[in-house]
Amino acid sequence: MKLPKIREIIEAVKALVHKPYTSNFPFKPHVPHPNFRGQPVYDPEKCVGCLACEEVCPSDALSHKDLIDDGRPRRQMIHYTDSCIFCGTCEAACIVDNQGIRLSQEWELSFFDRSTAFESIEKDLQLCEMCGSVIGCKDHLTWIAEKIGELAFSSPTLYQSRLKSIGIIDDNIVGVLKDFGRSDRVKILCARCRRKTTLTSDIVPFNLIGDGAK
Amino acid sequence: MAKSVITIGPYHPLQEEPELFRLTIEGEKVLNIDVMVGYNHRGIEKLSESRTFDQATFVIERICGICSTSHPFAYTRAVEDIIGLEVPERAKYIRTIVAEIERIHSHLLWMGLAGHFLGYNTVYMWVWKLREEILDVLEALTGNRNNYAMFKPGGVRRDINPDDISFVLKKIDGILPTIEMLKKAILDDPVLHARLKGIGTFTREEAIDYCALGPTSRASGVARDVRKDTAYGAYDRIDWDMIVTENGDVFDKAVIRILETYESVKIVKTCLQNLPGGEIDLNITSIPPGEGIGAHEAPRGETFHYVRSDGTNRPVRHKVRAPTFMNLPTLKATVPGCTISDATIILAAIDPCYCCTERMVAVRSPEGDLLYNGDDLVRLSQEKTASIMKRMGIK
Repeated sequence: MKLPKIREIIEAVKALVHKPYTSNFPFKPHVPHPNFRGQPVYDPEKCVGCLACEEVCPSDALSHKDLIDDGRPRRQMIHYTDSCIFCGTCEAACIVDNQGIRLSQEWELSFFDRSTAFESIEKDLQLCEMCGSVIGCKDHLTWIAEKIGELAFSSPTLYQSRLKSIGIIDDNIVGVLKDFGRSDRVKILCARCRRKTTLTSDIVPFNLIGDGAK
Repeated sequence: MAKSVITIGPYHPLQEEPELFRLTIEGEKVLNIDVMVGYNHRGIEKLSESRTFDQATFVIERICGICSTSHPFAYTRAVEDIIGLEVPERAKYIRTIVAEIERIHSHLLWMGLAGHFLGYNTVYMWVWKLREEILDVLEALTGNRNNYAMFKPGGVRRDINPDDISFVLKKIDGILPTIEMLKKAILDDPVLHARLKGIGTFTREEAIDYCALGPTSRASGVARDVRKDTAYGAYDRIDWDMIVTENGDVFDKAVIRILETYESVKIVKTCLQNLPGGEIDLNITSIPPGEGIGAHEAPRGETFHYVRSDGTNRPVRHKVRAPTFMNLPTLKATVPGCTISDATIILAAIDPCYCCTERMVAVRSPEGDLLYNGDDLVRLSQEKTASIMKRMGIK
């Protein structure tokens, strides 16, 4: 009976002398462990806008909007910080060496207005030159072309994206090639228009429809 | 003496979770207890059927905040059972490490709460201070204090860095003296002996009849532990003991949990020191049609998952049975006969987790009919209308 009391008194005295175990939080910032999984953050340079992260997200915290109506077609990649569970699946699924979206050390995410609880980046979109529908992000097409190397030259969409990105050709290439046969194939096309142009040659591009009507 | 009924809950400032206890008492003595759950049904099974096999792990993890490794462990075992594969050795060890560290933190949490219920708030504060260290270890290993996101069908998501191993070993060695002090302080205390011994005794026969699980059954002398009974994880590769006591009272349940903490520390240390190299994930690409079962010994008992696949990327049926589902009815055997003041600690002694338990249950009558099916409900409703009309004299 005597010994137990001494043991507990020692612990109690230790607790008296020590400063409180809790941290002085609002006044002293909390630094999480380096392995901590904080909220994911897009890297606007490295992200190619492929939407792999959105596909795997278990809590639907990632989404995107394609803004194509105001002259500069772009894809807004949105991360909703309120529904994110910091699981890291997006980082694991990222196609650009897990660098496009990365978990950060950020954890202070409180907000007053739920409608503001999101973060977004914008990536330039590539539209089909024939029908105007979305093909993918420009960076994504370039990434595929780089990834598959010379195989990209089998697809005008891919090699033109790549050549444009390194500055060898510009947007006027269609004008230069206008008088050559099957120049309609040397374009950035969506899969459906590519099938049409390959099989038939008498398709009028949508940007010439207006001239033809005049 | 007249009988009266005390109703506690379903929403009560003292309760962490919504549940309803109805104690029928005569004076100070409890004659009967009714426990009602169902206030917290979240439709987890349905939700998991709407996610892919990989994504469902995160929903499953959120069935319980405290055993957030146990449910994914059982679920991933069920999915691997469908495919019929063995996860890599390193993944098995990492799974075991996370599961056992979680058991330490869960048992410490229970010890703190038990101290609080008994009026030993110092124990409560000291144990929970100790638990913070364990949560720091979990944060270092998995990246979060809770909801570890470590498990996936076919392996684990995160590897353990060699640098972290020394950190974790140091932390765990650091808390051992404090656990030792607490163990002695709790087990030597004459007041606790007087307060807990012989309270809420649950006999071996009752444990078998009620199909009690985990520490609740092991305290009554039923040696039932999934970790020993089926070989999974790294449990069959290392040396550890199953703790079994004979008396079945609240004191024995406390002893079981304290001693199991030591076993878990032993398992974690052995696993970390003998961590094999190699792959941590099999990268499962497709899951064939079929059904699988998986079980894991959670801190509260056996967690059981059943998953059926039709060959698509989503489960068509997912059934969860949490340990408290089996342990809750044991209160019917332990609480009647005790005093109201003892009822609190007996209720707490099974370490109940009500939100895990919130499952849809269909009860069958001896004839095999479902009691109260949809038609019965409609009939009951129509009969009530008819009786009101009759009372009001309307034809």
